[in-house]
Amino acid sequence: MLKLSDRVQATAASSDARPTFDIRGLTVEFPAITGVPTVAIRNLDLRIERGEIFGLVGESGAGKTTLARSLLRLPPEPGRIAGGELLFEGQDIMSLTEVELQRTRGRDISMIVPNPRSELNPLLTVGEQIANVAQVHLRVSRREARGLALDILRAVQIPDPERRMTAFPHEMSGGMAQRIVIAIALICSPKFIVSDDATSGLDVTVQAQILELLRRLAQDRGSAMLFITRDIGITAHFCDRVAVIYNGEIMELAGREDFFFRPAHPYTIMLMAAFSYNQSLRRLWARPEPLPGAKVHDSACPYTLRCPLAQERCRIDRPALREIAPGHYASCHFPVRR
Amino acid sequence: MTRIISFLGQRLLFIVPQLFGILLVSFFLIKSIPGDPAVLMLGPMASTDAVVSLRTKLGLDHALPIQFWHFLVNLVHGDLGTSWQTTRPVLEDLLQRFPATLELVTLGLLGAIIIGVPLGVASAFDEKGILGRVAGVYGLTAGSLPDFWLALVLIFVFYTILQIVPAPLGRLDFAILPPPTISGFLIFDSIAAGDWAALGSALTHLCLPVLTLSLINAGPILKMTQSTMDRMLQSDFSRYEVLSGLPHRMVVRHALRNSLPSIVTIISVLYGYLLGGAVLVEIVFSWGGAGQYAVQGVLNSDIYPVLGFVLFSAIFSLIVYLIVDIVYVAIDPRIGR
Ligand SMILES: Nc1ncnc2c1ncn2[C@@H]1O[C@H](COP(=O)(O)OP(=O)(O)O)[C@@H](O)[C@H]1O
Ligand SMILES: [Mg+2]
Repeated sequence: MLKLSDRVQATAASSDARPTFDIRGLTVEFPAITGVPTVAIRNLDLRIERGEIFGLVGESGAGKTTLARSLLRLPPEPGRIAGGELLFEGQDIMSLTEVELQRTRGRDISMIVPNPRSELNPLLTVGEQIANVAQVHLRVSRREARGLALDILRAVQIPDPERRMTAFPHEMSGGMAQRIVIAIALICSPKFIVSDDATSGLDVTVQAQILELLRRLAQDRGSAMLFITRDIGITAHFCDRVAVIYNGEIMELAGREDFFFRPAHPYTIMLMAAFSYNQSLRRLWARPEPLPGAKVHDSACPYTLRCPLAQERCRIDRPALREIAPGHYASCHFPVRR
Repeated sequence: MTRIISFLGQRLLFIVPQLFGILLVSFFLIKSIPGDPAVLMLGPMASTDAVVSLRTKLGLDHALPIQFWHFLVNLVHGDLGTSWQTTRPVLEDLLQRFPATLELVTLGLLGAIIIGVPLGVASAFDEKGILGRVAGVYGLTAGSLPDFWLALVLIFVFYTILQIVPAPLGRLDFAILPPPTISGFLIFDSIAAGDWAALGSALTHLCLPVLTLSLINAGPILKMTQSTMDRMLQSDFSRYEVLSGLPHRMVVRHALRNSLPSIVTIISVLYGYLLGGAVLVEIVFSWGGAGQYAVQGVLNSDIYPVLGFVLFSAIFSLIVYLIVDIVYVAIDPRIGR
């Protein structure tokens, strides 16, 4: 059984570039009072190639935020990275010193956060907050930093950017604040952007505008992006490759076409059925929610309890992520093929 | 700026009714303390006639609301009544004593801020470092020490053993003439008069009581700073700053700024409280301050000094709170719009 990373290595060997970000065997745990920690991310492998927009879909609680923040070595409190490598351009994030880490965050790898109005400092103008990041990472004067901040505000299409420089976060709408956070994420032209549920709070038209903007800006700068969302529909328009995360593990991963036209994992199909509001599809692919306390054994497929196709083998043998077609991976013993 | 001015206007409007309420409540509360001032003034041997005529003279034969009304009318004319203990007008007494207390309390509080805020920030900055531990222990002990006891210990060490400070008897050496009164603050008045001997004496007398108040009151300031800083450093915006790669120092600096409203609040509360709350320290150092004056008044049914003290403290507290509100508005753009 080949690990995903080895596989992709083999197929990508023709192009000279190594991946922008290579996650190998990442495990993130939350300590629990019982002593046995909750595993939020389990031995996860994922590679984000240069310049690509990689979509990661999962329900809430799947471990998306934990994964996103762990990539910057700052999992949500009290989480702890229990193992794995985080290779950014070949350099392991886990081995960086505090200072190197601080220089990497926001400059080479930046993060677009959800709920920007609570993530921005309420007492500082947005202009100051953008300029701070520019000044620290690009080592420019305060004046230049302000100039750059104004430029990036124009780039994210904030109306009346001069006036917005002196606005406070509470004076902005959700969409506006989201643009500010995008501006902060892009101001240093990072090589890698992690976007965590960035547009989920916005209404649909604003969301579409912001996604379009984000894609263009990332492309202009040649940044790769891990785009994390709860909304499987967005990834269909927005991403080059898509993966589904469930319970801290990748269930399926494929190029966009394969993913949407030939989904193989029962969980992926269930998500699509739920998303498409197709009642009969839904009935076919959904099973009643398992009881809250119900837990599967560590050696079983984590999806067994909800899977309409589950068989005896699924309960005793945890499937690994394997290639079921070129570039198409699923972690399922009985992937759906047509 | 206009924001602050309109805000001030609103607040000033409320000051008069606030003061009225405070006086009303304190008047009836103090009147409910048992004990007849006329009897106390004349002594146990006085005849009933003498007591009755004194009561009439003092206006004590009127109903309470009428007495309160008389008090208010006199107050408007700048008369706070007379203390039967000192036989002087209360206003004169307080103008002399209040600055003594204020000087002591202000310096004590400044010292407490200088100790408490940096320690609180340092411990939030680096919890497991040396300063963090010192702050932890300090926060625990400062809260459990009685101030008069600490004052006595300091007197024992610095006066009795080391003999580097003057005797704890008032604000100046007996041999030194006080400078002409301008503000009532000895430091200010002696500098204004160019009287360096008086200044030196005033400063050495201030040392121990100020140190006492500083050490005791640094405790709550330290705890408030520490816990607010902790909360701010855990908050979303601080984590976002870390995620954005801002240096630790800058993250802490911003957190401190966001913590300022809470720190300013605890300082202002302490300031108002200490006017009366420093009375034990005043007594230990024979300070002759306003707190002592008011306590004597309560113990002897001498109502006007108490009411005068309440009035002075209330006005002072209201001014402090007003300044605090202005600070809030200046710090936080979300307030007062
Ligand atoms: N503060 C926490 N304490 C304990 N467990 C947590 C905490 N935060 C997250 N988790 C665990 O990690 C899982 C993933 O959480 P999260 O990454 O926030 O999911 P998502 O962003 O996909 O909604 C949760 O289901 C929960 O089990
Ligand atoms: Mg999340």
